[in-house]
Amino acid sequence: MSKNKKRKIKDLFLNAVTYLSSAVSLVTLLAIIIFIFGKGYKLLNFNLVVENFESQGYVADLYDTGLYCGCNPTIALSDEAFYSQKWGIALTDTLDLLGKTVVMVEYVHPDSPFKTVHDKGISGEPIPMRTDYDIIRIAFDAYPTALSRYGAEAMIDALEANNSIREIEFETEGGGIRGSIITTLILIALTLALALPIGVGAAIYLNEYAPANKITRTLRMFIETLTGVPSIIYGLMGLAIFVPLTVRLTSATGGNLISGAMTLAVILMPIIIRTTEESLKVVPDDYRQASLALGASKTQTTFHVVLPSAVPGIMTSTLLAIGRIIGESAALVFAIGTAIKDDVSLTGKSTSLAVHIWAMMTDEPANIELSATIAIIIMVIVVLLNIFIKIITSRYMQRKLGASS
Amino acid sequence: MTTNYQKLKVRSTARGRITDRIAKTIFMSTAILSASFIFLIAGIVLIRGVIPFTTDNLGIGRVSLLRFLTYDVWLVGETFASNLYGVGFIIISTLFITLLSLLISFPVGVLTALFIAKIAPKPLAKILRTVVETLASIPSIVFGLFGAGVILKLVYDFSSSIGYQSKGGNSILAVVLVLALMTIPTITTISEVAIRSVDKSIEQGSLALGASKTQTNFKVVLSSAKSGIFTAAILGIGRSLGEATAVSLVAGGRRAGISFDILDTTSTLTTIMLEGLKETTGIDYDIRFSVGLVLMVVILLTNLILNAIKRKVGVVNVKE
Repeated sequence: MSKNKKRKIKDLFLNAVTYLSSAVSLVTLLAIIIFIFGKGYKLLNFNLVVENFESQGYVADLYDTGLYCGCNPTIALSDEAFYSQKWGIALTDTLDLLGKTVVMVEYVHPDSPFKTVHDKGISGEPIPMRTDYDIIRIAFDAYPTALSRYGAEAMIDALEANNSIREIEFETEGGGIRGSIITTLILIALTLALALPIGVGAAIYLNEYAPANKITRTLRMFIETLTGVPSIIYGLMGLAIFVPLTVRLTSATGGNLISGAMTLAVILMPIIIRTTEESLKVVPDDYRQASLALGASKTQTTFHVVLPSAVPGIMTSTLLAIGRIIGESAALVFAIGTAIKDDVSLTGKSTSLAVHIWAMMTDEPANIELSATIAIIIMVIVVLLNIFIKIITSRYMQRKLGASS
Repeated sequence: MTTNYQKLKVRSTARGRITDRIAKTIFMSTAILSASFIFLIAGIVLIRGVIPFTTDNLGIGRVSLLRFLTYDVWLVGETFASNLYGVGFIIISTLFITLLSLLISFPVGVLTALFIAKIAPKPLAKILRTVVETLASIPSIVFGLFGAGVILKLVYDFSSSIGYQSKGGNSILAVVLVLALMTIPTITTISEVAIRSVDKSIEQGSLALGASKTQTNFKVVLSSAKSGIFTAAILGIGRSLGEATAVSLVAGGRRAGISFDILDTTSTLTTIMLEGLKETTGIDYDIRFSVGLVLMVVILLTNLILNAIKRKVGVVNVKE
């Protein structure tokens, strides 16, 4: 009896260990989600997606000093805003997209003298003050310069105390990820355009045409081996082969989006081939035989009978590929580079969302807030892709079951 | 069944035959192209990787292969003015880190797989499977960010609580934890498949002999699935060895000296490749390919050794 009891305790302990082990995964996932949302939610807004990463700075002065507004705001200002009636401008202390405290323009009255500021450089272009600009400093003729680090209230006080402005320095918001989003989209489109035809073609050959012999097995083995290659090695290949190739053929001077997409295409090859082949395998041979018996050629059979049945599989592989492209970092660091850019061009350097995170995290000081915000975007996309894949697979399975019964 | 189809003699028109031949050639060339990439990769890394050892590197002098593989300082002297590179200590720390992370991820991963496949109530198993799948699909850079934002802090607090001054938490321990978290889903997924494919009759035999459900799970099911579980471990090791960006955010970068102190900074073969990427020509650029070559050889050797062990351990009653 005591032996039995001992065994029960031991069993209970062993089971408890499996519960604990499983808890690790759950805790990890929750911790990651809590961490990226906790750090990243502050910066998560629509501006992030449309703004440039680099802020554009201006130094400007007023055309006509001694022209005051003396007007009341036409809209309701927030509680944190400080308004200067004299100058018709409202400023607030806020965090920019990079997480720095800045003085932001919340409101400019249409008659405000700030509407007539112009560039201090040779161009003298008018650059009317707009909301969402960050004011760095305002210099006066006979008064200490108001700096953004003293806060919005001090700046408004200084404005009220003065009748003229010598110089004002301000910048656009910056810290946006528009460039990286565009880069990621271009990479997805370009990579799929390169990888899908080759991958699907190879899958068709392996499943429909290849004889079951040693050569085919060897081909398969070589393709399978690709999955074990770490992505940083793919990066080296991109750097050594695709970068020089694109530099020779295009106007690119170094790593570029085309070389990046080519590298990604090689990485995706085994995934696309395997997923497509799996979907080709489940197309019943009856279909092929029926098509051939009706007098269709093998090519016609492949394109009109086999491929349409394999569409869900190809869609799954496309979604898997998109997930991989969005998450890939090491290979792109080598094959494109880590320069965060706002003007994206096919032959230039720029970063995907994942490399954007890496570039910011390896920079001093690391920008965890914006990185976490990008991570939220990446995670949401990845989870959505997973759900889509699940839906497609389950629908497909249902249809398959229906067909066989 | 497919073989039957492929053996079918297709009788069609002459034009059909020509299109068929063209189509076959096109499909075949895509397959050959796909298969050739592995040679392209191995070839280019090999060719570029041996340059520092075979040429005099624009007057700097040949890098000694033996010294490169055994020395415990990454670079003695100025960048671009010295040929005294060494990765010996980095190879060892890479293997050390991989081993440590496997010590965490392997038991946790396998037990999670056993839990999902055999122990957990159905709804819980379903939830956990989704959790593991989601973890598996999280890109490594997000793990790296999590490591830099959370694990570094934990390691730092831990080390200062025992009176140790760590470099902001950048350490072997942090790398090991990040890699372990990343490899757990890989090991769990593959082990679960192996555990599920264990023949029911073996299990029932054990139960009929009077073993409890738990005893059966741990003694019979796990040992029957060991071949698949071993494969899971091999894949986990592969992922640990090749991981780059996530590790580079928590490693801290170590330029000299072997250290087995888990709170000390470290470098791995991948992080050293990512350091100082600005150069595009010269020895400091080429040496990255040599490190890449070393990494490929390390991965290849580890795989060969582990597969040999796996063959020795043997396949026990696993239904394919």
